Amino acid sequence: MINGNLKADYGADERVLNNRNKQLFVYGSMLLLAIFPFVAGDYAMLMACKMGILLIAVVGVNVLTGYTGLVSLGHGAFVAIGAYATVVFSNLFSGLPEGILPLIVIPLAVIVSALVGIIVGLPSLRVKGLYLAVATLAASFIVTFLIEQDLFAPWTGGVNGINTPTANLLGWELDTKREMYVLITVLALTTLLAAQNLFRTRVGRAFIAIRDRDYSAEILGISLLRYKLMSFAISAAYCGLSGALFAYFYARILPEQFELDLSLELVAALIVGGMGRTMGPVFGVFIVMMVPELIKIAMGAATGGSLELARYTGPVQEIVFGLLLVTFLLKEPLGINQITDRILRSANRWPFARG
Amino acid sequence: MGQFIQFAINGLMSGAIYALIAVGIVSVFKATKVVNFAHGYLIMFGAYFYFTFAVIIPGQEWAPAWLASWQPGWMVEMRQGLNMFSPLGAVLDWAANVPRIIFGLIGAVLCNALLGMLIERSLMRPLMGQSVFAMIMVTVGLISILSGAASLIWTADAAFVPHIAPNTPIRFEVFGTMVFLFGADIVNMIIALLIFGGIVAMVKFTKSGVAIRATAEDQSTAYSMGISVPKIFSRAWILASATGAVAGAILATRNGISPSLGLFGFSVLAIVLMGGLDSYVGCFIAAMSVGVLEAMTQWKLGGEWAEIVPYVAVLVVIIFRPHGLMGQKEVERI
Repeated sequence: MINGNLKADYGADERVLNNRNKQLFVYGSMLLLAIFPFVAGDYAMLMACKMGILLIAVVGVNVLTGYTGLVSLGHGAFVAIGAYATVVFSNLFSGLPEGILPLIVIPLAVIVSALVGIIVGLPSLRVKGLYLAVATLAASFIVTFLIEQDLFAPWTGGVNGINTPTANLLGWELDTKREMYVLITVLALTTLLAAQNLFRTRVGRAFIAIRDRDYSAEILGISLLRYKLMSFAISAAYCGLSGALFAYFYARILPEQFELDLSLELVAALIVGGMGRTMGPVFGVFIVMMVPELIKIAMGAATGGSLELARYTGPVQEIVFGLLLVTFLLKEPLGINQITDRILRSANRWPFARG
Repeated sequence: MGQFIQFAINGLMSGAIYALIAVGIVSVFKATKVVNFAHGYLIMFGAYFYFTFAVIIPGQEWAPAWLASWQPGWMVEMRQGLNMFSPLGAVLDWAANVPRIIFGLIGAVLCNALLGMLIERSLMRPLMGQSVFAMIMVTVGLISILSGAASLIWTADAAFVPHIAPNTPIRFEVFGTMVFLFGADIVNMIIALLIFGGIVAMVKFTKSGVAIRATAEDQSTAYSMGISVPKIFSRAWILASATGAVAGAILATRNGISPSLGLFGFSVLAIVLMGGLDSYVGCFIAAMSVGVLEAMTQWKLGGEWAEIVPYVAVLVVIIFRPHGLMGQKEVERI
């Protein structure tokens, strides 16, 4: 009931989970996530880890596109930089004890990614909207191209990819998917909370002001230079973290994993989930990862597992992915978050007015 | 020096094709304010349609024999006693393909125009008047739909596609170095330039061109002056996909047909931004200079570095001139 939303003090009003339904939802899902590794099969574990890695990157894109209003079609490149920086630094510091290596390497990868983010963000001071989208796209093509070059092959492995190290946290070797799941989930939840809290600070509010009208924001005394670049840096840092986990999760990384498809997937997940909302990336990633899986299962069932027809699965997945993006843009531009909002609102007001 | 000229000419020839592709993106942008990220994939469809109409259909059993290979009596006579690799032989080889080339081009242009109309009707029209961001993202979604659909429809390996013009090698000497050119490349360049010029002239001089320019200036005013804006939208998309079909056919004969044709569209997008989104002249200059720069990079640094030339060029230009070389500066009101 809406009466449950009454607040007696400012502290209660400013809490992140400011009503019972939200608390129920968040603590309930955390409980489910904690139980999940004990009941899930290997394949479900794999999917969960992939979702977690993608989620962190989408949260990053959300900071930039959803909150600051700068469109980027090149965030796959930052994930690539995070992943490759992890491998390169691991090889560079291989003399250090293994247990503390990830504790040094992951922050370094995040920092490198953020620095590249600032460089890529430089055009954002001059151009915006569409021009920026193409500028980031161009930057991402250049980054993946450089990774593939023979010139850097001793460090990056070139087109053939490179083997990645196993994460080892203070002697705890994370060599199974279940153990990686713990790390990924903890980090994913932390990044979500950090993103949520970022937008309760001065910086986050400045981002939102820039999104709503950048010139007006400048008139209000918000330095566009500083905050746009900061937004790029934060967003790239999230993607870098995602890339670091990507490198630790897979045994081998290839440059082609970070090309246009990944960048599009990130943006699509954000649009499907809902831009500029904390839970948007969560819903979006869930849909973007699960729908192709469901198609695979459905196609498998429909064709009776014949190899002849199995080659149609890939194209059908691709088409449905595109249709998903287009349908959401046409029918529900604010994403799934808008739908869940509606449901939550009517739950809060039950048994009174709905909608 | 001779080598420089050789590469410069190669660059100009690929620049002309860039210009032909760019004209599609610019036309759609001018009329609808939407930048078509999926234009490369429309080109890919054009290439596959050309392949279908010029190779697959003539190869069917029910197709008339003259469609697959046209061999009238006089041609067989002329062929007698010709040397291998003689220029006349190449022309005769091409002449035998003429029916299927024409059939292929007509089929590709018609089918692609239909596809463009379909996209405009089903995806763009419902978003009219909504935010440009949503429309652009729809074209991004279109990328996946088109590339998935292409690999679903054309599963066969793409084989040889007939050249549009006789592919005789042409050799001449400049400053003591031999320069090699291929006949087909020159004809491709001429076709591309003619279409480009034709469209620019159309936009400049005809009534529907004026309507397009008026819509570009101000949609609602154009609407109230009796111009049917939806019709302009539709026409722009048809124009873009029809020119895309020709470009696709040319690219198919040059580099073969593959899904990577779609990625080609992104480098052209970079070129368009470099030239200025709403300027045909700027795009032409950008296309030609990127073509030449690419050829020079190929010459000095090797083939693979050429593929990032458009992206580097667009970044450099955008930083110094945010609206491209000749683009109109957008006036923003607060």
